[in-house]
Amino acid sequence: MNCDDVRLNLRDHRQGRLEAAAEDELRAHLSACPHCAHVAAAEEELTDALERRLPQYPASFALKRRLAAQWPLAAQWPLAAQWPVASPRPAWWRAWRPAPIAALALAGLMLVVAPVVYYERRDAGTAKSMVAEAVNDHLRVLSSQRPLEIESGGLHQVKPWFEGRLDFAPVVTFEGDADFPLKGGAVGYFFDRKAAVFVYTRRLHPISLIVFRADGLRWPAGEGGVSAKDERGFAAIVWRRGALGYALVSDIDGRELTSLAARLRAAP
Amino acid sequence: MSAMANEALAYVDALHNLARHLTGNPADAEDLVQETYARALRAERQFTPGTNLKAWLFRILRNTFVSSYRRRRRDPTVAGLDPIEAESAGALDQAWLHDDVELDRLRKVVAEEIEAALMTLSEDARTVILLDLEGFTEVEVGEVLGCPVGTVKSRLSRARAALRLKLRDYAR
Repeated sequence: MNCDDVRLNLRDHRQGRLEAAAEDELRAHLSACPHCAHVAAAEEELTDALERRLPQYPASFALKRRLAAQWPLAAQWPLAAQWPVASPRPAWWRAWRPAPIAALALAGLMLVVAPVVYYERRDAGTAKSMVAEAVNDHLRVLSSQRPLEIESGGLHQVKPWFEGRLDFAPVVTFEGDADFPLKGGAVGYFFDRKAAVFVYTRRLHPISLIVFRADGLRWPAGEGGVSAKDERGFAAIVWRRGALGYALVSDIDGRELTSLAARLRAAP
Repeated sequence: MSAMANEALAYVDALHNLARHLTGNPADAEDLVQETYARALRAERQFTPGTNLKAWLFRILRNTFVSSYRRRRRDPTVAGLDPIEAESAGALDQAWLHDDVELDRLRKVVAEEIEAALMTLSEDARTVILLDLEGFTEVEVGEVLGCPVGTVKSRLSRARAALRLKLRDYAR
């Protein structure tokens, strides 16, 4: 196996798809060829960067709703996406048909269990989508050429700046403090709607507070909101208060983000 | 709705992700995904049950993109390998890539730098990298792109080498 063969087979090598003889040959080459060993290490780093840091773009709820409308029986979206594909009616069903009482009992049981399963799975999918969207929005703000459209001279300066730029008034009363100073704000998007983005910092780490209209979005049950400690390296907390939704995202430690969330939620 | 349509909807996030990285903007990505599903629905009878529905959908998306969006944009860099990919194999032999500097830079690149570097590659290169990331095997990538496994291997190798070279410019 020469250097070119090794380069071509590095992916298969990492994914364990090489046959034993080829694997031995490749390993022997890597241990003897520093150049190929370097390429193998660089490929490893590239894979890690792509898998962990390349932004992901899941479809918006609006697109999913449009597709569901094209196919009306997919009205349970996004649950339909998580269900296994329907299969032809199995033989055991034919055996059940003559037993109506047992079938009715099973149906009763399903009526009790199915909603529980439905809501648990729906909530899990909803929470994941919201956290992913929050991280995407945070990255969009960071990657824009002018991440802060209004530099902060205090909350009294940032909040009025949003007037006329949004179709709602963001309710944020935490003015920042020594731990989490307020740096400024920008207009962003959360799914299909405009959002107010307040940027706080913790040391040198930017923290985005994304405020958006909560109506029309599917929210997990309960008031506690959702949180994620490691969504592509970011921590995120999403909650709802009245007509507005809030998403807090940063690469700081999850406990520090929770501390800021508590200050935001406690402020009058 | 058929079982096939139901299963097809499960791949909307993955399809949208590829569409977004191919088109480079949200509106075109949504249009491309919607058109993909519309074509899939029309061609449902051509799909053989039991074969790879996910690869079939990705192939439709890829073909739709090539036939519609690429033509519409008339972008000279979108077809085939761009110069950086053609010369990437040679460029990667440069001495600076042989030390730990490259590894260090790759460890430090951030999300927007990776995305920006990816977007500078040709669409063929982007597609093969993203399909590989999506977890497709080389055989499945070959089904999507309509080329033999050997071609997939070499395209993927060259595309990733080109991406590493591009990242050199971002991660400093």
